[in-house]
Amino acid sequence: MLRAIAQGLGRLEEIIICLFLVGMTLLVFFEVIVRLMYAELIELFGEGSIDIFWIEELTLMGAAWFVLFGAAYGIKVGAHIGVDAFVRLLPLAARRVVGLVVVAAGLAYCGLFLAGGWVYESKMYKIGIEMEDLPIPRWVTFSMLMLGMVMIGWRLAEIGWRILTGKAGGFDLADEAREVLEDRVEMNQEAAR
Amino acid sequence: DDPIVIKFSHVVAENTPKGQMANKFRDLVAERLDGKVVVEVYPNSQLFNDNQVLEAMLLGDVQMAAPSLSKFGQYTEKLQIFDLPFLFKDMAAVERFQNGPAGQKLLTSMEDVGLLGLGYIHNGMKQLSASKPLLVPEDARGLKFRIQSSDVLQAQFEAVGALPVKKPFSEVFTLLQTKAIDGQENTWSNIYSKKFFEVQEHITASNHGLIDYLIVTSDEFWKSMPDDVRAEVDKALAEAIAHGNKVAMDKATGDRAKIAESGRSTIHELTPEQRAQWVEVMKPVWAKFEDQIGKDLIDAAVESNM
Amino acid sequence: MTTVFLFILLFVLLALGLPIAMALGLSSVLTILLFSNDSLASVALKLFENLSSHYTLLAIPFFILSSAFLSSGGVARRLIRFAMSLVGHVRGGMAMASVLACMLFAAVSGSSPATVAAIGSIVIAGMVRHGYPEKFAAGVIANAGTLGILIPPSIVMLVYAAATEESASRMFMAGFVPGIMIGLTLMVAIYIMARVRGLPRAEFPGFGPFLAEMAASTLSALGGLMLIIIVLGSIYGGIASPTEAAAVSAVYAWFIAVYGYRDIGPLKNTPWRAEGEGTASAVLRNLVMLPVGLLRSVSHPEVGRTVLDAAKVSIMLLFVIGNAMLFAHVLTTERIPHEIAELITGWGLPAWGFLIVVNILLLIAGNFMEPSAIILIMAPILFPIAVQLGIDPIHFGIIMVVNMEIGMITPPVGLNLFVTAGITGHSIGWAIKAATPWLLILLCGLVVITYVPEISLFLPNYLDQLRGYK
Ligand code: NA
Ligand code: NA
Repeated sequence: MLRAIAQGLGRLEEIIICLFLVGMTLLVFFEVIVRLMYAELIELFGEGSIDIFWIEELTLMGAAWFVLFGAAYGIKVGAHIGVDAFVRLLPLAARRVVGLVVVAAGLAYCGLFLAGGWVYESKMYKIGIEMEDLPIPRWVTFSMLMLGMVMIGWRLAEIGWRILTGKAGGFDLADEAREVLEDRVEMNQEAAR
Repeated sequence: DDPIVIKFSHVVAENTPKGQMANKFRDLVAERLDGKVVVEVYPNSQLFNDNQVLEAMLLGDVQMAAPSLSKFGQYTEKLQIFDLPFLFKDMAAVERFQNGPAGQKLLTSMEDVGLLGLGYIHNGMKQLSASKPLLVPEDARGLKFRIQSSDVLQAQFEAVGALPVKKPFSEVFTLLQTKAIDGQENTWSNIYSKKFFEVQEHITASNHGLIDYLIVTSDEFWKSMPDDVRAEVDKALAEAIAHGNKVAMDKATGDRAKIAESGRSTIHELTPEQRAQWVEVMKPVWAKFEDQIGKDLIDAAVESNM
Repeated sequence: MTTVFLFILLFVLLALGLPIAMALGLSSVLTILLFSNDSLASVALKLFENLSSHYTLLAIPFFILSSAFLSSGGVARRLIRFAMSLVGHVRGGMAMASVLACMLFAAVSGSSPATVAAIGSIVIAGMVRHGYPEKFAAGVIANAGTLGILIPPSIVMLVYAAATEESASRMFMAGFVPGIMIGLTLMVAIYIMARVRGLPRAEFPGFGPFLAEMAASTLSALGGLMLIIIVLGSIYGGIASPTEAAAVSAVYAWFIAVYGYRDIGPLKNTPWRAEGEGTASAVLRNLVMLPVGLLRSVSHPEVGRTVLDAAKVSIMLLFVIGNAMLFAHVLTTERIPHEIAELITGWGLPAWGFLIVVNILLLIAGNFMEPSAIILIMAPILFPIAVQLGIDPIHFGIIMVVNMEIGMITPPVGLNLFVTAGITGHSIGWAIKAATPWLLILLCGLVVITYVPEISLFLPNYLDQLRGYK
């Protein structure tokens, strides 16, 4: 039961991330089309019926939300880029200690941004200003930073727990190169079939 | 005692009027308040851009900034007055209004959110530019114009049947160059320094609006300074502003001449009849924002033209 | 003191294996906390703004998405076939065609490792089958793949444009000639090696079949080649900005992969014309499938996986960029670029001497960090000096990009080396040995590009001239 819920949430997380990317792409695409066909569109819908002014701000906000929401997912699937050449040279016990140090550093990162974000968030909530073009309060859009940091912290804590209980040998980074490859090789094999 | 540090963050180069004003202020303060107050100037958006700087100010990380008057829309509706089309007939009228009681009262219009205006600094009157000549409002119909984020400016271009487009500077240049966007509005100084005249074949000397900056500080910071120090700082600032405004006005004239000399764009003057047509089409925008801005304020501005 | 703390902390965190993004962010925040009276709140604000106020950087996820569709859509295979039809029959032709295919793929993709992976995973094995030494094949591809960031579009150029507020479209144009120059030099070097070492050549099939295959392969590759025209054409033809062109290219790539080539998605294995099908019936069937197929692709697992992969890569890259900008912001608030600039200016270097320093600095930095992060950290320091020394900002950008390219194939750390090692199943050491002889060509290219600004500036200036101003 719990596992089913966790799987469902994980799937939802992936869907949301995809929707962000697709949404941003389509918004910008839509603006290009509207501008390109502006003459025809006002013919069709009448002058003053077209407003594309809000698109830029919404897309940019989408980009920030996309990254902040997705960063934790990156940790879950081990997609973050880093340098692990040195750590790999260490014996297992030392690697686990280093892994815990890295988790602690990551948690510090989240904690500091949460602390700073909270002060900003409260200030914006108090004075209640809105976005430039969108009628959305500033603190609402910013809240994704807080949520993102909490999510990242959660994923880091999970890894820390796995290291502590001996289920993981350290903090595993993405091998970016290997990942690009696996996808490609897999696809080319599929194509060859 | 540690000196009071004033971080002055702006978004333009040091050789612009605003940049020179900030440096002058820094130098005057250094000269007169040696050791008591230090002004650190951060040009070129090094610290914050215009969208972030007011928030950073409220958090106490910047003490002074000078964003464009259009940038205060989220903080007060009153300052929208400076975006109204054809409100001021020339810069002298602008000065009379800003230095008069109504303009001075506007400085305190954001006290409830913690911001305090200290003075206005000019860029100049706005001109229209496009890839075709704009002589009557009909010429702008169906064109796409890049504008700054402002409800008033949006309404202004919708009034002539044009499409307002928002794009960051980095992309605007290419879009104008390739004619994906037809036109924009700006001051002579900006058209020259941002090289818009190289990619816009026609500029109409419309003087239809204004780009000015508001020098702001955080109310809390300003009141935290000892009275005598604050008075000195205020005086230095006033001198720096006078200096900057003179530079700005000379520059506007000079830049217009340089654009004309370059031969890359044709400058069109409006006949009184043509101008009257633009006013007729754009002026209804005033009524739309009268409730937000306040009728008495608009009246005071109109009076400054006399 | 602050500088030392900031950089040492960064390197320690990196060495421990903290993801680059967090290492940059944490060292920035701690520096602010310990050495500055700025608030944590404005640092948090800054991070958020870094992610939400750079329109030019939006092109990055769009180009990654488009690249993902293209790679999965078998566009690479069609480009290789096209390149083979052009130069395959020359001695060493298959290797030359591989370079050409890398150049073509570079013209639709913004990343170098993606280029190596897309082309290399197919052609290295192919070359070996045709009697090329594996080391030769791998070395060629590792090097040619670096063109991914020099031939437009380019993620690294977008980052440079965002960091320095230079025009991304001018940067794109400036990369064109240097990219083609390096590509052609590689091809010439291959030809010479092929003569010397007696490498294989394909039989020239005679003019008729040659032309026929060229026509057929061009037609087959047209879907991919069109993208070059769409991206560059819409920027220079006055439809879209670089960011917008990226979004258009992503939508197009999805369309071509799902409907045009039908390599992924619901229409996979559905032919344009079934055997024995009449023309009218085929046209009608394909017309009906257009909306049906595209709509059904939305929930198709293969399409979903492609989008998710692109999203994953984009998020990581943008997260690094956002934190690197924060790092650069801390450098600025601590006036570090200012001090370093004064130091370097104090040496009284001439422009050419400064450029040597730049080359060395960037090649070293290339071993520790992601190219975008390097550009974001180094540009605020180096750019003002370059401008002061009279170096053209666009030209300087191209120099930085070529340095980043070389960093990708120099030991100990280089993304292209890892990808090459992975494709061939050999060690990194082997990949280094394979790539190094060819590296010489890139280094010569760097020298020429560094000291002959016209190579970079010719095209953007010429295009400006065409439009009637200089
Ligand atoms: Na490219
Ligand atoms: Na390297």
